Formats: sequence, C-alpha cells, structure tokens
Amino acid sequence: MARTATTTVSFSLSSSDLTSSALNISASQQLKKAGSKLGLSQTTGLAIKTTSYASAPVIDSTVLFRGDDYTADGANKIYLKNLSTIDSEYFTVYLTGSGGTDGGGVTELGRLYAGDWTFFPWNATGGTKETFIATIANTWAAGDTWEFDGIEITAADSTVANIATLIDECQFPNWVTSRSTAAVTFVARYAQDAGTVATATADITVVTAGDGDSVVSSSTLGTKSLSDIYIKPSVHTEMSLEHILIHE
Amino acid sequence: MATTTATLILSSADVTGHNFSMTQTATLTKAASSTGLDEFTGITSRKYPTAQTDTVVVADSIYVDTTVAHKVYIRNTSTGNSDYILVELEGDVIIGRLYPGDWMFIPYGGTLDVQVTTVATNVSIEYGVFSQSTVS
Repeated sequence: MARTATTTVSFSLSSSDLTSSALNISASQQLKKAGSKLGLSQTTGLAIKTTSYASAPVIDSTVLFRGDDYTADGANKIYLKNLSTIDSEYFTVYLTGSGGTDGGGVTELGRLYAGDWTFFPWNATGGTKETFIATIANTWAAGDTWEFDGIEITAADSTVANIATLIDECQFPNWVTSRSTAAVTFVARYAQDAGTVATATADITVVTAGDGDSVVSSSTLGTKSLSDIYIKPSVHTEMSLEHILIHE
Repeated sequence: MATTTATLILSSADVTGHNFSMTQTATLTKAASSTGLDEFTGITSRKYPTAQTDTVVVADSIYVDTTVAHKVYIRNTSTGNSDYILVELEGDVIIGRLYPGDWMFIPYGGTLDVQVTTVATNVSIEYGVFSQSTVS
C-alpha cells in the first residue's frame, strides 16, 4: 500500500503600517501528491547546509537539489531559510532552467537575505541521461583487464558473458549498468549536456592477450537538467542555509 | 518604515518517524538592510475562463532589480485536486506546479517576468508582490 502522510503548511503575513489599513494574509494547505488526495510522503528532513570558502574570488555555487533525483511534474515543495543574522549576507537561489541568464546555464530566482525564508513548488524536471552499450566480444582470456570510469575488472575466464557480468556488478561512480548476455548498457547517474562528445570505444581501456574488445555503440547524448536548485553565498565566510524538501 | 512579518508553520505527525513542527518568522526588509519593504501591490484575485499560456502575473519592468529583496506570493485558489498552475520565470524557466490550495512565497530579483500557465478552464489565482522602492 502506498505510504501517505499528513503535512500541513500555513502562511500568514501581517503589517500594521505597510498599507493604510492593517494587512493580514493567511493561507493553509495540506501537502498532497499531484492531482491526488494522498499526502506527500517523502522528505529529505530538515537539514542545514553551511558554506565556507577560502576567499571571495573562489566563492562558487552548490547544488542543493538535483531534478534527476526526484519525480518530475509533481507537487514537490521546497523550504529554504538563510540563517545568517548579518543584514548584508544573502544566498542567491538559482534554477538551472532551459536557458539561463546568470553565469551561463542558471537563472536567478532571487536572493534570500538574513532571516528570509521561502517556500515554493518544485517541478524537478531532470534532463536526458547519456547512455551507451559496451559489447564484450572476440577472444578474451583469464587475466585480461577492462577499465572505465576509474573502475577496473580482471577477467576470470574467457567467456564474454562472464566478463560482461563482472562489469555489470561493478558500482561505477558516474554510471549505472544493466546487462544482456555480453552487452552492458551504461546510463549516466546524472543528466548533463556534454555537447557533441559522447562516450566512445576509445574511452574504455582494454588489455587483452587476444583480440578481445569492448566496442561502444548506441550512444545517446545527454541534456542538462532543467530544475536543479543551486545556492550561492554572498560572502566566503561561513553562512548557513536551512532546507527541507517534501516530495512525491 | 513599514514592519511586515511573514510566518511559515510546517507540521506533520507522520512525514518522518517523529512528530515534526516548525515555525519560522521573517521580517521583510530591503536588501542588506534592516529597513522594511515599503511597497505592496495588494492581492490580485483572478479567475481565468480559459487556459492560460505564459500569462504575466509579475512584470519585471516595474521593479528595481538585482540588489533587492522583493517577495512574490501566489496561491492557487481553485478547488478540486488536479487543476494546477504552472509557475515560471520568463524564458520557460519552470519553478513548479501549484495544485489547488497550494501557495508559494519566493524571493524575486526583478529581472524576469513571473508567468503562469494553466491547463484547465476557470482556474482561480491570487497573487501579490512585496517590494522595495529603491535598490539598496
């Protein structure tokens, strides 16, 4: 049975002097799955990300949430708060977006100054993950090696399907795999736009006593994720951001 | 100087393994300042008789930009479960979907329009902008 949860989020805003009459706005909702009466049931938990850099010139952004890791087109919700107490310190919140107006490839949502919080829906639109197939073929021998993505395997025998199995059983840092006989399909863990450069046969190192090879075919280029959430602090000294993601 | 406070209360007995509840209050101030935001559009309430595509609800041209601490509030005031509002920044930068009853409160840099797209008829929305009159 699908897990469900009841989570309530309320918003209230008030001011006695922003307008000539007292202002009060309130809204409350239960966080539900897209198009459903069932509640969102998964969360990252409330967490804190602290940033710190050696100096101002090396300040960079940090990926807070990757679209690839979550269900797209749902009713995901994000809460962020800048925990700084210094008025001038802010986090800039970016979306990767389809184009990007800031620093190539990202678009600014806005700045969270000290004490500011935000709560918003998140589409989690991932990109296309690069894929390719490496087929183990021709004559291999026990002791031959195959290496890719920093992972090396050593053939236990000459059977190509067994070598493919060894490869498929590896845990690659940047790829997940599946196998059909002697063909191993690689899918990138994260979507990224690699331009026109796809993984090729030459990217795999094969050392074999015979003519064994590992030809790459069916390569499909990736495209970048459209909804990653980046944050960037305004100062290199320590700043902290509180965050939670409640998702499908 | 105006004093405006925004409060978020998030609670659940079962989204994690423990009771969870938090209350966060922010006083809305200008960028890098303790001076309160001094502009407010009021809350606009609309009911769209037809589906909308990239309808501008916040036009960047009327706000100072970049070094600002504007805030945008949007709520889908429709009923039911499925008639969502897709909220985007100009240029098809998708933020997310507001399902009926959902609301959002975001910082806004004033450099891009905020747009909404709907897929159903008679979708209702309310929105407002809290902003600063000059760049800090």
